[in-house]
Amino acid sequence: MTEKKLTIALAGNANVGKSVIFNQLTGLHQHIGNWPGKTVEKAEGTLHFKGYTIDVIDLPGIYSLSTFSIEELVSREYIAVERPNLVINIVDASVLERNLFFTLQLMELETPMVMALNQIDMAEKKGIRIDHEKLQRILGIPVVPTVAIKGTGVYELLERSVEVIEKGAINPPAIKYGEEVEERIRKMAKLIEKIPFRYPARWAAIKLLEGDEQVQKEIREIGSENPPTAERLAKEMEEIHGHSCSAIITSERYEAAGKIAREVQQIVPKIRPPVSETLHTITTHKILGYPIMVLVVLAMFQSIFTFGNYASELLSNLLYGWEPLFQGLLGTGIVKELVWGGVVEGIIAGVTVALPYIVPFYFILYLLEDSGYLSRIAFLMDTLMHKIGLHGKAFIPVMLGYGCNVPACLGCRIMETERERLLAAFVTTLIPCAARTVIILGLVGAFVGIQWALALYIIDLLIIFLLGRMAFKALPGEPTALIMEMSDYRLPHLKTVGKQTWFRLEEFIKISFPLIVVGSLVIKLMEILNLLEPIANVLSPVTVTWLGLPAITGITLIFGVLRKELTLITLATLLGTTDFAQALTPLQMIVFTLVAMLYIPCVATIAALVKEFGWKKATFISVFEIIFAIFVGGITLRLLPLLLG
Amino acid sequence: MEGPRETGKSELPLAALRDGESGIITSVGENHGGGHGRGRGGWGFKKRLMDMGLTPGTRVTVVKSAPFHGPLEVSVRGSRLALGRGMAERIFVEIIK
Repeated sequence: MTEKKLTIALAGNANVGKSVIFNQLTGLHQHIGNWPGKTVEKAEGTLHFKGYTIDVIDLPGIYSLSTFSIEELVSREYIAVERPNLVINIVDASVLERNLFFTLQLMELETPMVMALNQIDMAEKKGIRIDHEKLQRILGIPVVPTVAIKGTGVYELLERSVEVIEKGAINPPAIKYGEEVEERIRKMAKLIEKIPFRYPARWAAIKLLEGDEQVQKEIREIGSENPPTAERLAKEMEEIHGHSCSAIITSERYEAAGKIAREVQQIVPKIRPPVSETLHTITTHKILGYPIMVLVVLAMFQSIFTFGNYASELLSNLLYGWEPLFQGLLGTGIVKELVWGGVVEGIIAGVTVALPYIVPFYFILYLLEDSGYLSRIAFLMDTLMHKIGLHGKAFIPVMLGYGCNVPACLGCRIMETERERLLAAFVTTLIPCAARTVIILGLVGAFVGIQWALALYIIDLLIIFLLGRMAFKALPGEPTALIMEMSDYRLPHLKTVGKQTWFRLEEFIKISFPLIVVGSLVIKLMEILNLLEPIANVLSPVTVTWLGLPAITGITLIFGVLRKELTLITLATLLGTTDFAQALTPLQMIVFTLVAMLYIPCVATIAALVKEFGWKKATFISVFEIIFAIFVGGITLRLLPLLLG
Repeated sequence: MEGPRETGKSELPLAALRDGESGIITSVGENHGGGHGRGRGGWGFKKRLMDMGLTPGTRVTVVKSAPFHGPLEVSVRGSRLALGRGMAERIFVEIIK
C-alpha cells in the first residue's frame, strides 16, 4: 500500500456513546462543520495509527436508514456513495435488539464493517451478558466489546478496523428475509443491476419495495422504469399479508435482530434494580418529576448567574485595565476612539458575556444531556410544548436559548421537520438570553425589585406561549408527535461534554464576534460624525410619544441590536450615571426592559436565522419582533398604572 | 376511551392501556385504503414508528403515562421509548391479560 490515508465512519443509534468513542479516537484533532448543503452537523477528526492517517467521520445518531430525517439521508448517502474504507457500528450492549436492527441495515449497504459493542459495563449492571464471539460468528464481522468512557477496547477496535480494511473484504448482509420477500428483492435487484445506479442493487431493491421516495426519485432521474415494477411487487405483498410491504420488511428485519439478540444474550434479572433505573422512575414520576425538574433548572440558573456575575466583573476589570495602554499607544484622538471604543470594547464585552455565562451554561446543559436527564425533561414537557405545536424535544433548544440565542437557533436542528425547526427557532429568539438577563436583573431587578424582574420572566413565558401558539396555527402542516428513546442514565464523559461546550463556544465566536466588531465600529463612527442625536430625534415619536421614554433610549436600543446588554451599558454612558433611578421612573424601567427583551434578536441571532432559514424568514421574524416589542411596551405603559391603581 | 374495553373487543389504541398493561400491536396508523400519503398516519409517520420497533406483532408494555394527557413511556424490544399521546392513539393493540 502506497496510499496511507484512510476514512472511517462511526455510525450508530443516539446515546450509545458514539461521541465518546469519537473523542477517544481523535482526541484534540477534530473539527465540526456542516454536511455540504445540509443543516446537519458533521464532526470530523484525524488520528495516526500504524502508519496510516485515518480520517474519522462521526455520523449523526440515528435509528434507521430510511428518509424520515435529513440525518438518516445524509448518513446513508455518505456510506453508500462516498464509500468510507470502513464503518464502525457502535452498539449499546444493553439495548441489543434495537441496535442490531440498525446494524442489519448498515450491512445491507455492503460496506466493510466492525462493531463496537459498547457500554458492556452498563449491560452487566442490568444483568445482560453478551457472547460477543457468537455475535461475531453470526454477523460475520469483528465485534469488539468496549467501555468507551474508560477507553477500554478502543485500541483493539482500531486494530480490528485496520485489519478489516487491509483484507478489503465485505461481508454479505447477515439477514435473509422470508422467501416471499426475498423472491421480490431478487427480481428487483436483477433489474437494478442493469442500470448504473450509485447504490448497491440489493439495497436499492429493498428500498424501492419499502416505498422509499428518495430512491424512487433518484432512480427515475436516471431514466429507469423500475419504480412501477417495485410498486406492483409491493402491492402483491400487501395483498398476501394485509400489511404494507414496508411494514413487512421492517418487521422481518426486527425479527431477525431480535432472534440474533436472543441467541447471544443471557439475561439474569437483578434482584435490586440498578441505580439508573430508580433514578429514571423518580425523575419521570407523575408528581415528583415536575418539582425535581423545576429545582434542577433553578439550581442550574442560580449557580450559573452567581458564578457569571462574579467572573464577569473580574474579567471586565482586568480587560478594561488595558485602556491606558491603548491611550499611551494611540493617543486620545479619533484613532484611539475607533480602535478602543469600536473594536476592543466590542471584543471585551463579547468575552465578558461568553466566558462567564455561556461557557458554564453549556457545560452544565451538556452534562445533563449526556447523563440522559434532558430526554426526561422532554418527556415531562411534551404536553406543554404541544400547545405551541412542538413536541417535548423542542424544550432543549428553548433551554439553550437562556444561554445564548445563537446556538439555540442552530440547536433547533434536532426537530424533525423544517416547519418545526422554524417554529422552535422563532420561539427561542424570544427567550431572554444571558445578555438580556443582565438587563433584566441590572435594571428592573436592581432598581424596581427582584419580584418585578421575575414577573418579567413570567410575562415573557406567557408571550412566548401566545406567539408560539399563533405561529403554530398560522404555519401550514401537521405537528409531529414525540417519539424518542429514553436511554438509561449514565455517568457523563467530562471530556466529551467539554468538547461539545467548546464547539458551541466556537460557533458563538465565529458568528457573533465579527458582527459585534463591525457593528461597534459603525456605531462608533456614527457617534463621531454626530449622527446619533438626529437618529434619536427621528425615533422620538416611538420612544417618547408611544413608549414614554427619554429620547436617548432610541440610541441605546440601536446599540442593543449588536448585543442586548449594550442597551444598558450605553444607557449608563448617555445618562452619565449608573444610578438609573435618577433618570428613569420604575415604570419607564419596566417598559424599557420589556422592549429590550422582546425587540429583534441581536445581530448574531439574525445571522444564525439567516444561516438556517434564509433571508426572508429571518427578516420577517426580526421585523415582526421589533413591531411587537414596541406594541407591548406602549400597552404596558398605559395599562400597568391602571392595574396597580 | 373506556368504550372499547367494555364491549369486550380486545383491540384498542395503545393510549387506552393502563399503566403496567401490555398488548400485541395489530396495526400502526394503517389507513386500509393503501396509498402513501404523507399526512396524519401517512408513510413517514408509520415508517418512523416501525423503525423504532413498533411493528405489527410486537409486544409493548405501557410503563406509565405522563399527566395532563401527556406522552406514554412504553417498553418495547428491551428498550424504553417516550411516545406522544397522538401517536399512541394511532397504534392498535390486542391487550394481553
